[in-house]
Amino acid sequence: MSLQRRETKLAFWFLLPVAVVLLGVVAYPFFFNVYISLTNWNMFHFRDPHLIGLRHYLRLFAESDFWMIFGKTFLWTAVNLVFHFTLGLGAALLLNRKLPGRSIYRALLILPWAVPQYISALTWRGMFNSEYGAVNLILAKLGWLGLGPLSWFGGEWSAFSAAVITNIWLGFPFIMVIALGGLQSIPQELYEAARIDGAGPVRRFFSITLPMLKPVLMPALILGTIWTFNNLNVIWLVTDQGLPADKSHILVTYVYKAAFFYYRYGYAAAFSVFIFLVLLLIVQGYNKAAKAGEAY
Amino acid sequence: MALVLPLVLGSCGRIDRSRSVVVWEQMDPKEQEQFDLHLAAFRLAHPEFAEFDIHRVHYRTEDLRTQYQTAALAYGGPNLVYGPADQIGPFSIMGLLLPVEELLPRTEIDRFDPVTLPILDGHVYGLPDQVGNHLTLVANLALVDEVAADTDTWLEQLRETTLDTDGDGRADQYGLVFNLLEPFWLIPWLGGYGGWVMNDQAQPTLDTPAMVGALDFLSGLKQEGLVPRECDYPLADTIFKEGRAAYIVNGPWSWEAYREAGLEIALAPLPMVTSTGLWPSPMTAAKCYSVNRYLDPETRECTAALLAWLTSTEVQVELAMTLSVLPADREARLRPEIQSDPTLDASRAQIEKGRLMPIVPEMRAMWDAMRPGYQGVMNGDLTSSEAARRMQTKAVGDIERMRE
Repeated sequence: MSLQRRETKLAFWFLLPVAVVLLGVVAYPFFFNVYISLTNWNMFHFRDPHLIGLRHYLRLFAESDFWMIFGKTFLWTAVNLVFHFTLGLGAALLLNRKLPGRSIYRALLILPWAVPQYISALTWRGMFNSEYGAVNLILAKLGWLGLGPLSWFGGEWSAFSAAVITNIWLGFPFIMVIALGGLQSIPQELYEAARIDGAGPVRRFFSITLPMLKPVLMPALILGTIWTFNNLNVIWLVTDQGLPADKSHILVTYVYKAAFFYYRYGYAAAFSVFIFLVLLLIVQGYNKAAKAGEAY
Repeated sequence: MALVLPLVLGSCGRIDRSRSVVVWEQMDPKEQEQFDLHLAAFRLAHPEFAEFDIHRVHYRTEDLRTQYQTAALAYGGPNLVYGPADQIGPFSIMGLLLPVEELLPRTEIDRFDPVTLPILDGHVYGLPDQVGNHLTLVANLALVDEVAADTDTWLEQLRETTLDTDGDGRADQYGLVFNLLEPFWLIPWLGGYGGWVMNDQAQPTLDTPAMVGALDFLSGLKQEGLVPRECDYPLADTIFKEGRAAYIVNGPWSWEAYREAGLEIALAPLPMVTSTGLWPSPMTAAKCYSVNRYLDPETRECTAALLAWLTSTEVQVELAMTLSVLPADREARLRPEIQSDPTLDASRAQIEKGRLMPIVPEMRAMWDAMRPGYQGVMNGDLTSSEAARRMQTKAVGDIERMRE
């Protein structure tokens, strides 16, 4: 046996335990979920589910709420990502400068990320209470601006906004940390050369900072998209399971309710497969865009 | 990997199901305290089960439901599962529960008031240790002298006790606080207007004049500013504990905490609806221990003995006296200490006007159908008649979808 072949075989044996674990915890549940989506598994067929084909998938698109929830999920993801990246990058740029008390600011800005999401979400829910919440008390103090107390969970879009505000607060430190790491690895010589060539701050940002941050920001963007798209906790806890009247759901909270409140396991599994396909398409889109960028 | 694997495996204690008797519960802290005392007494009284590791695992109500489903699906889970009777409907339909008559002799079951037993298709799927879980009117005697007996008198009291002391346009003291989000607080008034959630065939009966009347009554309280604009359970509880509300509508689990907060309270049935002459009928429910269908045969005897112990007459008397709940055991109810306790007496007065919560799985769809309509009316987004119509449509649709 040649040395190369022996090494290949050895590498295979090293990889085998990981492959087995991945098969067990990723591949098997995934394909089992696809199988469930093709069955009538629910409370009444808990022990005797049988295949019913694509009925759940057809039902999914026929449900009146589906497209609204689908659109809202995209809006939720887009708004959050825009703010996460704008605020995160902005904070990182500020913290990358020599500021007095920089480490204190950095610790304070990372704080939202360090607090457990569950606690933050419940605290924000209390803060949005129309009568006693801090947000409305502040709005009341700013009464001269024409901002009165809002019933945050009384309206579909105000409840949605409350969840978005919470998630922006929770999410931007992640991008800040990633961007700060990227900024510190950009060679200062590039900026000096650009300055000598007469490039202003805006030009330097778009021609040096942003392209140099792309390798770290792109994975963060993909992760951020997936996490935000699938963020159950914030919507579920802030809007108290979909206030008002189940109108603030996104796809994952809707699936959660179908599975664990109505015992519609087959239907929820079909929904999950759909969410997976949507995210797969988004990630593919990002990858294509990233590769197109590399061509320049 | 080679280093981590033994570490992980070594740190996981192996659970021997044949020597372990586990109770999954969703008890509040006081109930947990009582459970631990009764379990200790069981260990002393039954040395023959000394080899068994008997313990409880606490879950929140929703977690208990989902965790038990998942565990039982894999033929695992605890020996006994404890919670409100309404979770028994789905569990029994899924085939996850063992009928109690297969574990205990009939005489053990006959001890109970039959209306408190969760019976489906002729099988008993749990034994209760208490009955109640019912909403009652709780008055703060520092703000009201006498508890109103009808809604007209009550409304007058609520108007008198809702005060804006600092003149900022917001009430600083309310006549009434209660949960404006959960339809559990709507149900008593549905009964007060002559309605109920479903008929005998478990079909929804929500689009009725009774529902419209109940919603009109409750939204009227909000429109008049007699209750806070936005009020969930914790907020209502806090306002009442702070002494800033004359009344709260709440259940037996809360009364002791109000006394501990230094309030002098009076319990009374929710006031009779003057226009209909009917009493509000809160849902009542038993809390039961149910048996896992997949319990290890080796633990069967110990599980049976523990179930009988935890629902025994003595334990129920003890629970009644410490938790202000009513026993489900008939003999316990006749004990003099139970008969003469004023809190239990008030509780009994409300229970007699209540109705047992249906334990059919369709009830889940009913709650979810009522919630948006109730919230919509309380927010001012829906009229009562539109909400009632939507509740009915949603309930019918959701029940249909549950069966797909």
